[in-house]
This record gives sequence, structure tokens and C-alpha cells, in this order.
Amino acid sequence: MSEPHYKLHWISAVVETAKALKDLIGPFVILVFVNGFKGESTAPWYIQYWSLILFGVLLIFTLVSGIVKWRRFDYWFEDQELRIVSGLFIRKKRYIPFDRIQSLDYTEGIFHRPFQLVKVKIETAGSSSGKDAEAELTAITKEAAQQIEKEIKQSKKMKVIGPKPALFDQIEWQLIREPEEEVQIAQQPAPVVFSMTTKDLLMLATTSGGIGVILSGAIVFLSQIEELIPYDWLFGELKSFIRIGIFVIAALVALGFLIVWLLSIAMTFLANYDFKVMREKDDLVITRGLLEKKRVTVPLKRVQNITIIENPIRQLFGYGAVIINSAGGVGEGSRIKLFPLAKRNRIVEPLQELFPTIDFSEPIEKIGGRGKRFYYRFKLLVTLIAIAVVSYNFFPYGLLMLLLLPLVGLHGIWQYKTAAYTILPKQLTMRFRIVSRQTVFTEKNRIQSMELDQNYFHRRKKVATITANVKSGMTLDAPAIRHMSQEDAEKFLSWYEYHPESTESQTEPDN
Amino acid sequence: MRQQPSNQISRKGLTVWRLYGTIQSVIILAIAVGLGFLSYFFEWPIWIMIVVTVIVLLYAFLSIYLFPKISWQRWRYEVREAEIELQHGLFIVNRTLIPMVRVQHVDTAEGPILRKYGLASITISTAATTHSIPALVTEEADELRNRISTFARVAKDDV
Repeated sequence: MSEPHYKLHWISAVVETAKALKDLIGPFVILVFVNGFKGESTAPWYIQYWSLILFGVLLIFTLVSGIVKWRRFDYWFEDQELRIVSGLFIRKKRYIPFDRIQSLDYTEGIFHRPFQLVKVKIETAGSSSGKDAEAELTAITKEAAQQIEKEIKQSKKMKVIGPKPALFDQIEWQLIREPEEEVQIAQQPAPVVFSMTTKDLLMLATTSGGIGVILSGAIVFLSQIEELIPYDWLFGELKSFIRIGIFVIAALVALGFLIVWLLSIAMTFLANYDFKVMREKDDLVITRGLLEKKRVTVPLKRVQNITIIENPIRQLFGYGAVIINSAGGVGEGSRIKLFPLAKRNRIVEPLQELFPTIDFSEPIEKIGGRGKRFYYRFKLLVTLIAIAVVSYNFFPYGLLMLLLLPLVGLHGIWQYKTAAYTILPKQLTMRFRIVSRQTVFTEKNRIQSMELDQNYFHRRKKVATITANVKSGMTLDAPAIRHMSQEDAEKFLSWYEYHPESTESQTEPDN
Repeated sequence: MRQQPSNQISRKGLTVWRLYGTIQSVIILAIAVGLGFLSYFFEWPIWIMIVVTVIVLLYAFLSIYLFPKISWQRWRYEVREAEIELQHGLFIVNRTLIPMVRVQHVDTAEGPILRKYGLASITISTAATTHSIPALVTEEADELRNRISTFARVAKDDV
């Protein structure tokens, strides 16, 4: 019972505090603005600045709580479990059996790097809360992290005999284990299955969707600024400069966009720098990052489906991304970017190596012309109504909206042309697009349920939509092929149905 | 053409849905009566009350008569050894296939109204989705629950 207890590195106090401080920045900025422009006042200083003082108290509280969190956190290994005790007033204890630990994810932030530390996230099979990882060690040395891994590995080599009293006169129970026969594993670095070239990385950074997020953030920020700048006064005072002023503002906005874009390139570049996918026995290991190094482990058997995503620009250049849905993990943790970006012809080979049982050839069956009209008819109707409303309200110029009609129609036809599928004995390949082209590869035994949907118009034209539900973390991923002919849709259901004679004779032809 | 699943849900289920529809219609009616008083006191134009009356009548017709009838006629289920097949829907007909191996657990539940009619609903959960059969005779629901959970245990898990 006297196993050595370990503490986190003191830098974890700094990390915790920094995290809390980051959340306080917003309120602080507002406070400064509110207080700073109040002008002269005769009230005593402590009334004048009460909010700032309150803020100071909060700041000190944050600092102290960061330190307390670090001081009151203990972890140790006992009885084939990782045990964690934390908290000042409420002592929270968490025992995690080694057997249940699915993966350890490492992150090296900028605070961690100088001290050779890592943040370790421990994930178990059923993350019960559905919100957090099972446990998080904010900062430990790399040796300590290796020790955890070693302890887990050792315990997994043990065979559980059963719960027995620790000593015959004690009531306390413990699991008795005996070492299984040693499996000799050659200690060599795991082979790198995929890595990104600098060229790929630059391509990714420049075409990344992150730019949209940052741009919208910038626009929100600018719209806030607008209310602070007294334009009326400015323009009244500087009438002669108006023309130049507009030019300057336009230039500034353009410059702003440029900066935002460059910033997003830099961020994507830093986050995905040295992106590598390795295979360690039954696990997939993904490492990436320059300033903050991340290392994520995904057990291969938890991968539910694989999606190749090609957005139109990237498709044009023959590039694509690969995303996998994992049964473990929570929120974003279950949709994992396996390859952020790679040449289409470089995708299949490493994928095949990782998932030998899956056939990554292109889907070939088309969905048939009967469903074609469903891809644009309804959308055109909705657009027409919108155009009618806008044209009525802004008469002559609203008619320009008519240009949308061919665009909407073409988009529908584009979607129709993309839709394709292949049904293999043990696998389903589906291709469809909203904007980006998605090709989903799913093994039959990963599909949780399959649905066939038909609305009134579908029924008249004998057309249906097929959805294959797959587990993704706590929720589901539901790729669908829309408006295919009913006979084809029913083929999916028949394929998915259980056929005793075929499954019995079909004893693993792929091995 | 694929065969429809063979079993229909209990006829009493239709009665229960009609009851639900009636309750909703009564609530709508109460709101309409309130509006009626308001329009009397504030002398609103008469067309408002006409519109409200039409809405109430239409709602009652749809929720008590038409919608339950269509949904009930459409509701079909079939529990086979290796899978469960469901069909339901009002505007969109949905057919779902759930293999026994994917079934994680089966629940039955009976609310006060369902119990009064000796009915229960069944909920079938897989790792990612949940599906329910809304109204079965209680004994049938219990029997089905047991059967599904037996089948689910027998079926070989290959995940």
C-alpha cells in the first residue's frame, strides 16, 4: 500500500494559471475601456477603480488556485491501476484500470518544451462524461510519461486469474495476475506511413478553411471598432480628406485581410509542421506541430470509416484530405485528420498499408437518371421564391439575383454527377458532395444501421435516399447517397441483411 | 419491390395518437378562445377570428384524424432472427434495418396514457443510433424485448 506517489512538474501551475488568464482577457479589455474613458471624477480612488480592484483580486485568486491545483494533485500506480487524487476541499479520487486505458495522447506546449515536459491525456473506452478525457496530467517529465507507458504495457502482459483476498485473513480484495508468456517485440522505431512534404504543407496552409474562421473573427472585431470611431466627427472635420480617407480605409481593410490570411497560413503551418503518421502494432500514432507538439494514438480497431475529402480547389490540383471516424474520443477527438493534405495518387498507398482489408478503389456505380431532377428542382423553386421576394422589394437591381438560377442548377447537376457507389461483399464505398467531394469507405460490420428514405415525390418516381449510420465518438456519422433509383437503394438493404448461407461459407477470404 | 415488414403496431396505438391529437387541439382551442375574447374587447377586425377558426379546425382535422391515420397505416415492423426492420413516416417514409449484432440494449416504457390502454413503447439502441416502436400491446412488447435481447446475445459480435 506504500507505492510512491508522484507530483506534476511545477510548470503545470503556470500552465493552469495561463489557461485561466486567457479566459480573463476578454472581461479585462472591457473593464479597461469602461474605466479608462470615464473622464475626471471627484470620487475617491477606490470607488473610481472598484472594478479594476475586483479584477486584481480575481487575478490573485487565479494565481493561487493554479498553485493549489498543482500542489494538491497526486498520482501513483497501484493494483494495476492509475490512481489520481486532486482537489483542495473536495478530494476527488479517480482510479483507472490499465486494461481500460485506450490511448495516451501527448501534447508539448511552449511552456513544456524548455523543461522536456509533456501533457498526457488518458482516454478510456467509454469516456463516461462524454465531455472530457478520462484524466489529464498537465505537465510531467518525459521519463515519467514513459514510466506510465511501461507500467501499462507490463500490466497488459499479465493474465488476470481472478479477484482473491490479498491475504487470507484480510477482507481486502485484489486482482491476482500472472505474467503471460513473453512475446518478444523487436524494439525498433515504428515505420512512418505518411509524412507531409513542405510543399504539401504550404499548399495546405494557403488553401485551408481556417482562413474563413479568422476572417469572420476579424469582421466581427472591425464591426465593433466601427462603433468606437466617431466617423461623423471625423468626416465633418476632415472634409477635404474624404476622398483620400476612403482610399486609406480601403487600403487598410485590404492590408488587414492580407495580414489575417498570412496569420492563418502561419498558424496552419505551425500546427501541422512535421506531420507524421506511424503504425505501432495495433495503433495509429499521429504526431504534428512545431511550437506545440501533439501526439495522438488511435487504436486501429476503433476506426469506423475512412473519408477522402476533396474540396473543389484541391480536387482541381489533384489534392485531397483523409479523415477517419473513431469510436473512441469525444467531440472533435472522434473525427481525426489522418492526412491533412496529400496528392491524390499518394493517398491510396499508405491507406492500403494501414487498412489492408479495405478496398480503396474508386466507386463506379452511378445512381441513374431518375433521381437527377431531385438534385436541382426543389433548390430552384426555393431560389425563385427568394428572387421574387428580393426583386419585389428592390425592384430593378433585385433582378440581378436571377443570375443565381443557373448557378444553383449547375450545383445540383454537379452533385448528381458526383454521386456514386460500390457494393463489395464486406464493404461499402459511397461518394457524394455538398461542396467538397467526399468518398466514404465503410466496412459492413461497422455500419450500425441502414436507412432508406422516400418522400412523396420520391415514391412517385421510384427514387430513394440511402443512409449508412456509423458510430463516431459519442454520436454518429451518417453518410448518405441521395435520390438514387429505388431498385438500387433496395440493393443496399438486401446487401446489409443477414444471409446465413453466404456468411458461413465466407470464411475470411482476405487472409 | 421490396416486401414491407410484416407486423403492424397495435390498433389501440391509433386511438392513443388520436387522444394525443385531441389534447393538443384542446390546448390550441383554449388559445383561440383567449384570442376571441381579446378581439371582442379590443374590437379587432373580424378576419383575424376567421383565420384563427380555420387554423384550429385544420389543426384538429390533421392531428386527430389524418396524421394518426397515415402514420398508423404506415407503421410496420418485423423482428427476424438476425435483424429488425422498421418502416414509418408521415411525409417521408423511412425504412431502417438494424442487425441484431449491433443491438446494444432494448428498453420498454409505458407512460400513463399508454398504460391505460395496456400499451408500451420499445426503444432499440445501437452504439450510434436509437430506434423506437411507439405502441405495442404490453405483453407483446415484453416478449419482443426478451426475444431481441436473446437474439442480440446469440448473434456473434464482430466489431
